[in-house]
Amino acid sequence: MLSHTAQISMLIALAFYAAILLTLLRNKRLNLRYALLWIFSGVLMLALALFPDILPAIAEMVGIVSHTNALFALVFFCLILILMSLTAIVSGLNDKVKKLAQDNALLEKRLRELEQREDEP
Amino acid sequence: MKTLVIIPAYNEEKNIAATVTELRRSCPALDVVVVNDGSRDATGELCRAMGVPVLELPVNLGIGGCVQTGYRYALERGYAAAVQFDADGQHPADALPALLEPIERDEADLVVGSRFVGGAGFRSSAMRRAGIIFLSGLVHALCGVHVRDITSGMRAAGPRAIALFAADYAQDYPEPESVLAAGLCGLRIREAAVEMRPRQGGESSITALGGAYYMIKVSLSLILRRIFFRRG
Repeated sequence: MLSHTAQISMLIALAFYAAILLTLLRNKRLNLRYALLWIFSGVLMLALALFPDILPAIAEMVGIVSHTNALFALVFFCLILILMSLTAIVSGLNDKVKKLAQDNALLEKRLRELEQREDEP
Repeated sequence: MKTLVIIPAYNEEKNIAATVTELRRSCPALDVVVVNDGSRDATGELCRAMGVPVLELPVNLGIGGCVQTGYRYALERGYAAAVQFDADGQHPADALPALLEPIERDEADLVVGSRFVGGAGFRSSAMRRAGIIFLSGLVHALCGVHVRDITSGMRAAGPRAIALFAADYAQDYPEPESVLAAGLCGLRIREAAVEMRPRQGGESSITALGGAYYMIKVSLSLILRRIFFRRG
């Protein structure tokens, strides 16, 4: 069971978290597609702060004695998910950049040939 | 046979002119294209001054993405054969006819220029040879194709290999992986003896410290490619 102090601290931290997330989304500095996991993590933490009975149930289910440790484990799990999705996103971007750079090189070559042909006759 | 020589070049201003001149002298019938991988030196300007066609990559993609640009160019222009040729002077131009012969006769889809078959010439350090033997064995185990000089960057590709490499080519340290990819797709692969020279300038892409990283990365990507390979 979380102490009331811990519960209140969590809620305050979550308020900050939500404020930052919403500001980034409103200013279009964060693509909603990539913010989904952050929103999901925030909702999970909010549920834990509002209904503190969930945490002991989860801790017992996965075999963690200390409830705060269960909280840490959950946070780590969320972070790892987000990091993996980031790596996947970077890999996708890498492929797109490669394709675009190659297309650019091939098109630039054709353009230069066209210009040369136009200069000649 | 309409043949393209692909020269990947990254900061090769010291060697590129000599390489192109040698190619033009010993194989005047072959078309040459230099793929300039975002060089920060005068590689591109030198090539244009010599009248060599250049593909200018706007950013540095690394050897895999660079060579693949050449294969995409060969596919786009309908070349029947494409040869990969290093800019640094390691590859002798007079070996190209022997490399291209099996493709011309339609006996192979991919011919790898090999230091270890037949002729003597330049040899590398014991550590490097051990790594090459291991990777060669790994590729043999994964697809049944035996290529001794598996890391050789000198190879000739026929139409099927050009189409395959244009669509899918590993990004870094691509040489062993491309042989595996070709082997898994059922392409006919051969080796031809080539007397390589020590590089004339510049540095190897594989440093002593990077050796372990290279072996782990290449072995893993070979195994993963085999696991995820689906026929057709």
